[in-house]
Order: sequence, then structure tokens, then C-alpha cells
Amino acid sequence: MANPLIQRELVTLLRQRRMVLLQCGLATAFALLVVIRWPTEARMALALTGSRSQEVFRLFAYGLLSALLLMLPVFPATSIVRERNSGTLALLLNTPLGAVRIFLGKLLAVLGVAGLILVLSLPAAAACFALGGISLTGDLLAVYLLLALVALQYSALGLLVSTYVTSTDAAVRWTYGLVLALSVLALAPHQFLQGTGTTLADLANWLRCGSPFAALMSLEGAGDLGAAGLVSSGNVAGRFVLISLGLTALFSVWTIGRLNHTIFDRARNQGRISDDQSLAVRAARRLMFVVDPQKRSRSIGPLVNPVMIKEFRCRRFGRLHWLLRLVAICAVISLGLTYATTTSTIDWGVDTIGAILVMMQVALFVLITPSLASGLISSERESGGWPLLQTTPMSVLRIVWGKLLSVILTLLLVFCATLPGYIVMVYIEPAMRPQVERVVICLAATAVFAMLLSAAVGSLFRKTAPATATAYAALLAVCGAPLLVWLGRDAPFGHDTVESALLINPVAAALSVIRLTGFRDYDLIPANWWFLGIASVVCFIVLLVQTYRISIPR
Amino acid sequence: MSSGKPVVVIEHLTKRYGDFTALDDFTLTMNSGQILGLIGPNGAGKTTVIKILVGLSRPTSGTAHIGSADCVADARRIKHLVGYMPDQFGSYDNMRVREYLDFFGAAFGIRRRARMKRIDEVMETTSTAYMRDRFVESLSHGMQQRVGIARTLLHDPQVLILDEPANGLDPQARIEMRELLIKLAHLGKTLLVTSHILPELSRICSRVAIMTNGKLRAFGTVDDISRQVSQQRTIEVQLGSASQISQAAQIIRRLINAGDEVIEAPAEATVRFRTARTEQEVGEILSQLVREAVAVTQFREVQTDLEEAFMSFTRPTAPAAPAKSSQSPLAVGAGGTANG
Repeated sequence: MANPLIQRELVTLLRQRRMVLLQCGLATAFALLVVIRWPTEARMALALTGSRSQEVFRLFAYGLLSALLLMLPVFPATSIVRERNSGTLALLLNTPLGAVRIFLGKLLAVLGVAGLILVLSLPAAAACFALGGISLTGDLLAVYLLLALVALQYSALGLLVSTYVTSTDAAVRWTYGLVLALSVLALAPHQFLQGTGTTLADLANWLRCGSPFAALMSLEGAGDLGAAGLVSSGNVAGRFVLISLGLTALFSVWTIGRLNHTIFDRARNQGRISDDQSLAVRAARRLMFVVDPQKRSRSIGPLVNPVMIKEFRCRRFGRLHWLLRLVAICAVISLGLTYATTTSTIDWGVDTIGAILVMMQVALFVLITPSLASGLISSERESGGWPLLQTTPMSVLRIVWGKLLSVILTLLLVFCATLPGYIVMVYIEPAMRPQVERVVICLAATAVFAMLLSAAVGSLFRKTAPATATAYAALLAVCGAPLLVWLGRDAPFGHDTVESALLINPVAAALSVIRLTGFRDYDLIPANWWFLGIASVVCFIVLLVQTYRISIPR
Repeated sequence: MSSGKPVVVIEHLTKRYGDFTALDDFTLTMNSGQILGLIGPNGAGKTTVIKILVGLSRPTSGTAHIGSADCVADARRIKHLVGYMPDQFGSYDNMRVREYLDFFGAAFGIRRRARMKRIDEVMETTSTAYMRDRFVESLSHGMQQRVGIARTLLHDPQVLILDEPANGLDPQARIEMRELLIKLAHLGKTLLVTSHILPELSRICSRVAIMTNGKLRAFGTVDDISRQVSQQRTIEVQLGSASQISQAAQIIRRLINAGDEVIEAPAEATVRFRTARTEQEVGEILSQLVREAVAVTQFREVQTDLEEAFMSFTRPTAPAAPAKSSQSPLAVGAGGTANG
């Protein structure tokens, strides 16, 4: 190969055990997808109607896109930062390869993995094609081209993130956060603004076109998410191609620009402290930050779990000044939405505002929780802190509780910050109070479940990056996969099937309680609470057992 | 570095992982105030010994006690008795040195006021006070090692177990580390130190234990081990003039055993020879040289260093036969004991 990096990167990736597991898992999943959804009559006669075949293919395409988005970003995200931390990036930059070839080598290697995932899906796609009713170029080829573009765009994004962060788990967190924002959250504004005819609505429409889900829905002829009968405007797939290629070019140039000596050229933090500065400086900083991040922190007090304090202090955004900022942003958005409704600036109903609040909170939990909870145990094992904790007199239960407490308090703060919106909502329409109470329970259950699932999944790993990636994948699978079934709620799935699938989904449960269009027909409470409760207990047991297991002297 | 009563007592410790024996009938006693250097090649079992002592690993058989606490049964007491510094620092991101020490102090249950005082004390002892506001991940390796030692001292343990404290340090930092360890020994701490940098150990350790393949091969002071390992001593004779080299070499050959090695170095005007003769017999050689009018300006024994002793034990074919059988460790010196 012309570029030695491609071979090294690709062979390294393919040698990993997780790749074998991934390949086997994907092959099985795609095979099951087709077998389960293959129409019974097809087994007797291949003279199928085209619509049934398209339904199967649609589901298959959504599944493939989700699999790609869940599995691929971890590879580019960790690629450069891992090399930098192990010192091999300096060696690479010292060779005549150059930034462009290094970038291309890494990008093509990741695309090789993406290609592998897509090739593994070909037999299932061929089976769909064999059913008839699917055009080779219009459907099959178009979907695969779209997936190839998605792989290219998100690989470039992952590599860019990898040049900025200092640890692999931070790379995974940021990349998955951005992937979620670009692919799912980008759909939300359009959902609420469509049909208003404002400039904001046009912008939301373009933003939506950047999501591969919108493009895929357009290709599959499924209309828009929450279109509610409105005719989709514009060529969504065409716009997606434009946006995707533009973003890929931007990310690529940006990454190449960062691949030079400046990536290492950082002075060691000298640990400036404002306590040693003049009174005026201290007062100015207090005024500016409210809680001065450079102020010498107080000693850990009595009756406080030291592990909890440690977790807050060693987290990048765990310090009080960051938490205050997060809380302030949440409170402002929450109150801003409610204010917009009360002043009739936007003609939304209270239920729509409620749905936005619910989605905002769920998105926050899904984004924040795995990054907080997945590395609770694995980061200690990776950094070498676990043996040190073991040599202290603290019990395993106290350590785990301290760690969970740090996540609970953060989530509680975020949760409380979004509550003012609900309070105003109940004030406007008192009849909504029981609904809001149930939504709050749903969200609390979601937060607890997300935390325990992430912590339990993360405890199974020695390194934080795979722990975080797997935790995100697991949580997104629970929160996202049933929504794929929901997308096919009229066909191929019936009401009962969709309701059964949504029972495990905390997002759907909250949206059904708030009675958002598309979800109000499903009765998900209290079955969803039972599921989340039992699943949370199971996750907690897994977390405890795993932590005890690694603590036992062997 | 005075030797007191036994503090660390390891008896017939064996650790097996399936078919692999990491530690084989390891017995060792360490007195209070001693600095014991535990040396051996990679995979010798040093870390296994340390992990069992600090309660991170369970032995297959045998016992280990620190003070009166059993390392297996009294794990909680052991945590208060031992300060452990692993070879990996155990850094946390975004934490300042003082916060790092504060956390571990709180984890050991030290009350806030006492903790603050103790943090200042250990920073003073380890000369880390100037880096109290620095972030731990931004410290150099040498600084991190110092902070690591400060952490082990927080709960004022009786025994310090340091895994490779001098590893990766520059010469200046190594000297400082050596001085720090001696200072800790003077404070009455008992230190068990592993290291690959043997000259460091030979300078600071009151006792040295050499182990290979999970077995204790030698135990004692550096001098005693070196002497016992090297059955033949090397003597260097410096002459006033290079012209007398042949004459001196002839006299020496006449008085030592037939197989003993004699090396003439005309450029340096020296003759070196290796012999198993006693000190008295070697003295006779000097007398004979003087009697035969050889101008001897210097007559001295070249010391066998720890590295040579270490190599003699760790070579695949051990050259020098230890005092006892190959299964038994070489037990020399007073104070420490080692029984196979």
C-alpha cells in the first residue's frame, strides 16, 4: 500500500477482539432482522407485493444507519489522541509522511472498518432485494451511498475531535455528543417549527437536512419526522449530500491543519491560584465567576464521602463554576420556552412546550449521564488509582456510593434547573399537573436508569474509552432502537408491536404522558416504570458485583 | 537506620497462578528502621511479594505479617500499618497536589484539622510544599514520585513499601530520592524498596534481598553478599614503573593458584589478579613483591559491587555457588534472617 498508515491502522483495528465480536454481532443482527421481518407468505411464494418488501428494507436501512452511528465513531475518535498519548504521533510527525498523508491514512483505515460493516450487511440487503419491489439504483445503491457519506462525515468529525482532546474517553464523549447533536437533535427544531413559514423555520429545515435520519426517511419515502400530514419541502437527500460533503471537507482541512507541532506545544499548567493575588483581582474574579475556579478549595469536610468530592474535583466540568453554568443554561432555556408561549411569541400549545422540555431533558441525560457514569470504575483502573483506593480503609460500598452520589447530584442539579418551565406550565394550565407529575417521575426514572446502566456497563471495562463508547451505545440502543420501530408504526408494525417496543423506552414513556402527537395512542405507564425500575436494580447489582469482584485480592 | 525488632515477617510464602509459580517458598524477616532493597529481574516475583504484603493479592500458602497483623486476615489493620506506592503513580485529572493529598487523607479517615497539619508535614518532609497548587497530572515524573511518597506518609504508617521509586528519574532526582529515603529511615520508618537501579540500592539499603523465579537467592548487607558471591577477590597492584610489570606478574603467578587469572596493563602500570586466597595469603604476596624490590605504589582490593552480585544470581547458569544449596537463599550478615 502506498500509505503505510492505512495498513497499520486497519490491521491493528481488525486484530482487536472487539472487532471480531462486532462483526459476529452485526452479521447475526442483520440476519435476524431479515428473518424476523421476512413476510410469511414469501416463504411460500416469492410473488410479493413491492410495498411489503420496501417495509422490510426500510427497517433494515434504519438499523444499518443506527449501527453505523453507534459503532463507527469510537474508532476515529480515539485514533489520534491515543497515538499522541503513547508518543507515536510525535514519531509519525517526524517522518516525511506529512499531515495530509497521516490524516488520509487514518481516515481510510476507519473507512475500511465502515466498509466492513457495510459489506457484512450485503447478504441481508440482497435478501431484501430478492423480495422484489426495490430498485437497485433508486433504493439499494442510494441507501449505501448515503451510508458511505455518513461514514465519511463522522469519521472526519471523530478525527477532528481526536486532535483537540487529551484523553481517549474525552474523545469518545465529545464525538458521541456531536454525533447525537448532528444526527438526532438537529431534527428537533424542525419538528416544532415546521409550517410556521418563518425564517427560523427555514433554518430549522436546513438544519434538519444535515441529519442522516432525515435523508434516509426522504429516500425511503417515509416523509418527515412528525410531519403530521404536512408535505415535505425541498430535496432533503440532496441537501444532506451537500451539507455532508461540505462538513467533511471542513473537518478534514481543520484536522490536517492541526496535525503539526502545535498539537504538542502546550505548557504545563502552573496551577495559578487567585488566593495569592491582590484583593482587587480576587474581588474581580469573584464578580466574574461567582465561584472562582482558581480559588484554593477547602479541605474535605467531615460526614462527606471523600470519593464524591474527589469525583467532582477531578472531572473536567465537575467544578462548581461549571455546574453553575450548566444549571443556568438549563434554567434559561426552560424559562425562555415557557415565556415564549405565555407571551404568544410562538403559537405553541402547552403540550408542545412540555414535549420540548421533555426532549431537552432526555437529550441532556442521554448526553451527560454516560460521560459521568461510565468511567466511574474503569477510569480508576486505567489511571492506577484503584489499587490506591483499595489500600485505604474505605469499603467497596462506600467507594461506589461516593461515585454514584457525584453523578446523582449533578443530574439532580440539571433536572431541577429545567423544572421552572414545568412550574410555569402548571400555572398556565392547572389541569396539566397530574401529567407533569408523571413526566417528572418518568424523567427521574430515566436519569436513574441511564446512570446505573452506564456505570454497570462501564465497570466491565479496564479502559475508559471503550467503557464510555459501550455505555453510549447501550443507552442509545435503549432510547433509540424502539423509536425505529415507532417510525414504522403504520407499516410494517402494528399498534401492539410498537407499544411493546416502546415499553422499554423512557423517552417514549415521557412523551406519551405529555401526549405528544404520535405517542399519545400508546399506554406505556406504569409498565415502563416497572421495566426501568427492575432494569436499574439489575444494573446496580451488576455494578456492585463487578466492583467487589475486582476488589477481591487474588 | 538502627535495627530493632522484626516488623515484616514473611514465612514460606508461595503464590501460584495455575501452573505458573510466581513465588516459591519465600521467607524473609525485616527489622524496624531498616531499608530493605528487593531486587530481581523482571518477573522475579517482587511485585507479587509487595501485593501480598499490602493485601492486594492472596498467597496460595504461607504467611505474611506486618507488626502483629496478618496480611490476609487483618487486611484493615494492614492498611493503617503500611504506606504503599505502586510503580504507577495513580494520577487524577484536574486535581491540585493539595487536593490530591486531602482526598487520600480523608480516605484514611484523618480528621480535617489534623489532616491539614499532616499534609503540611508530609509536604515539608518530601520537599513538595512549593508544588501544593500545581495540578498532579502536570508534574514531572520526579515530582510525582515525591508526591506519591507524601501520600504514603499521610496516615503515618510504620512500614513504607515503595515499588520502583527511582524508576525513570534523572540523576538529580535520583539523588534527591535517595536522600529522601534515608531521611524517612531516620524518622523510624521501615522501608521495603524495589529498584532496578542497583547502585542506588547499594548506597541506601541496610539489607538487600535478591530474588529470581519467585525464590529468594540471597539476603544480607551489600558487602556481605558481594563477598560471598564473589568467591575470588580481585586485587589491583599499581607499580611505580611499567618496566617492572613482567617481574611483578611472575611473582604473583608463583604465589597464587595455577588457574587464577593475572592481567598485565602496561599502559596503566598495573597488574590485576583474581584469587580465592585468604587475606593473609594475599598479604604475603604484597610482602614478597616488596622483598623482591618491586616498586609498589598501591595494593588494593577492587570491590565487587551489587550489580555484579545481582548478575551472578540472575545469569541463567549461576556461576558462583551460594553458601547453601541452590534452593536455599544465601543468608549472610547479622540482624536480618533468611531461611529457605
